[in-house]
Amino acid sequence: MTGSLFYFLTFLTLFAALGVVFSKNPVYSVLFLILTFFSLSGHYILLNAQFVAAVNIIVYAGAIMVLFLFVIMFLNLNMDTEQAQKKSVLTKVAGAISGGLLLVIMIAVLKDAEVGSYDPENFDSQIGLVENLGHLLFTKYLLPFELASVLFLVAMVGAVMLGKKETQQRHF
Amino acid sequence: MRLSDLYFLMPLLILVGAATLNMLVVAVKRNHKVIFGITIVAHLVAVFTLLQLNGSSYQIPPFFVMDGWGIFNLGLILLTSLFVTLLSYAYFEQREERKEEYYLLLILATLGACVLVISQHFMALFLGLEILSVALYSLIAYLRTRERSDEAGIKYLILAALSSAFLLFGMALVYAVTGTMSFPEIGVYLQSVSELPLLLLTGFGLMIVGIGFKLGIVPFHMWAPDVYEGAPAPVTAFIATVSKGGMMGLLIRFFSQADAYRYANLMLIFTIIAIASMLAGNLLALRQKNIKRLLAYSSIAHLGYILVAFLAGNRLGVEAVSFYLVAYFITSLGAFGVVALLSDTERDADQLEDYRGLFWRRPATAAVFTAMLLSLAGIPLTAGFVGKFYILASGVNTQQWLLVLMLVLNSVIGLYYYIKVIAAMFAQTKSVQERRKVLHPALSFASGGAMAILGLLLIWIGVYPTSLVQLIRGLLATFMTTF
Amino acid sequence: MNEIPEVIRTIPLQYYLFFSSTLFVIGIIGVLTRRNAIIIFMCIELMLNAVNLLLTAFSAYRSDANGQVFVFFIMAVAAAEVCVGLAIIVMIYRNLRSTDINILSNLKW
Repeated sequence: MTGSLFYFLTFLTLFAALGVVFSKNPVYSVLFLILTFFSLSGHYILLNAQFVAAVNIIVYAGAIMVLFLFVIMFLNLNMDTEQAQKKSVLTKVAGAISGGLLLVIMIAVLKDAEVGSYDPENFDSQIGLVENLGHLLFTKYLLPFELASVLFLVAMVGAVMLGKKETQQRHF
Repeated sequence: MRLSDLYFLMPLLILVGAATLNMLVVAVKRNHKVIFGITIVAHLVAVFTLLQLNGSSYQIPPFFVMDGWGIFNLGLILLTSLFVTLLSYAYFEQREERKEEYYLLLILATLGACVLVISQHFMALFLGLEILSVALYSLIAYLRTRERSDEAGIKYLILAALSSAFLLFGMALVYAVTGTMSFPEIGVYLQSVSELPLLLLTGFGLMIVGIGFKLGIVPFHMWAPDVYEGAPAPVTAFIATVSKGGMMGLLIRFFSQADAYRYANLMLIFTIIAIASMLAGNLLALRQKNIKRLLAYSSIAHLGYILVAFLAGNRLGVEAVSFYLVAYFITSLGAFGVVALLSDTERDADQLEDYRGLFWRRPATAAVFTAMLLSLAGIPLTAGFVGKFYILASGVNTQQWLLVLMLVLNSVIGLYYYIKVIAAMFAQTKSVQERRKVLHPALSFASGGAMAILGLLLIWIGVYPTSLVQLIRGLLATFMTTF
Repeated sequence: MNEIPEVIRTIPLQYYLFFSSTLFVIGIIGVLTRRNAIIIFMCIELMLNAVNLLLTAFSAYRSDANGQVFVFFIMAVAAAEVCVGLAIIVMIYRNLRSTDINILSNLKW
């Protein structure tokens, strides 16, 4: 049962990811990306990583995607803005070929890779729970946690500074 | 987390404090002078607290380590950032955009670089790198109304985000194989295996993409000329020095703590990168008419030189890297400082034409610029010469004849385009009238003072390098007991 | 309560490696082929998600919580990057009325 669920979610994720890349309309891309995030959260739940699954929904689908959608609608980009051009077809083919080659190389490398497996003796299924990770985050990882707050300060100052309208500017 | 950790993190805490204070001051009243003063004082205090830590070796497990190499890099970054601040005042005073946020972002970018050089754990590395990058996105696009700056901003944004995705995938693979994210523990793992597992090599390869992007070395150098041209001149100076130097510091820490110098295939990758960077940087610079782009290609080549010393992989090599970084920082700051000094309100002084006959109009500025260019070319009596000599010595010491040969060859090629700029400055021109309105002299006092100090430092290190060498040796004594 | 999740027992860890590599490469293809800056940015998010999945899988199989803490930080960083990135894109749209990166070709050689 779980096995088939894994394959279904994998298929769904890859399908949605391809949808993000190949949709003509940016709004469809965003919707496909949201689907990707939800199916990835399904994967996290299968792995019993509940904290990551919840944060993935809250941060990605809840905050980042809303921001993307907001900007797309703000700029009124809900149409195909990329007109077909000869040059762009060439870059598209070249991009797809080089990407495909990279995938082949990576699969070839990873095929024989020794990654090990789980250890049934010392396995702990509780590590992905909120209680455990929260405790780690506020003890061992306190310093990086504080650094993340500095990062948000930078992002906030930068975004407000760049996004703010100049007084003499005409457009919105 | 102990209380004594805070003492050793004091320089970083002071920077954060200064950023917060700046925000509060902006909230009350926007005043360029006050913000500028706070930034200068914060840097000086941070350097002062750093001096108190000198000679110590302290671990904040598992994220940070404060050893000689870390303290050297922290000092270098803080002083460089101080000079960038000094150069920024006159530059931004002429511009009508908001000036105060610039200092806030500059302080936080410096903080990111500081975190980067003392980290010994992937998480601290990544967060430091991202603080630096995110601050740089906004700094590069700072002059919003200029066409070039938004283009440079989006290019840097997309490529930096892409390269950090590669870096992360590499880190994930390394974590997959070794089961740890801290450098010393990766070193322990590497000791236990006879040869590099394929997956780990893939991971390191992907990490090199992310690191190479920040260093701006071939083949990850495409962004450098565009971003150098589009960014405001003081920000360009910051990218050329702090951002690249911070990454170099991290690279050396990672390689020495994980003892990755042993692997011939990793060394081969870096050898190819070093040779390609030297050649591409110098050859592409030959036909440049734009000073900022010329300096961008020149900095690609200089990072290639630094990699030669890095590849030596011994104590002499690290000393050579340290010395060259100091020389390169001083010259880059000086060169971009001149560009910032000559820029007017409409655009940066980046065309070769802007410098024609400069000597007859502004002799002091032209003299400093000449000294900087000669140092970049590696002419005797400048810091650049001693640095290059040091690198050659480390290359010869480890019998890397190909690299040494390429270094010498490239120095000769490089001479051509530096001399070209110098020749333009001394050329007699008919139109001697100053086309820019001259600023109030008090405004450029900070810039002028900074330039004078940089020029003197350059000559002093070039003539009497012993004191700097001894300083570096003393600091490195607590680093790398393995060599 | 300490039973091993079924997916860990039945699916080899290597499958996650293949899966996330594929997702990563799809992201790269998107970055290389698309020209709209916003979509390029979304493709970078895909790549970061591939990394997140890989880290979570390794961390769950190894019962080592460090990987999942790292995932949390990657998400935080992604949010910060998107925030500044979209501000730059809005700024470019104000200047040029477009988010197509091919328009941006003033800077050459």
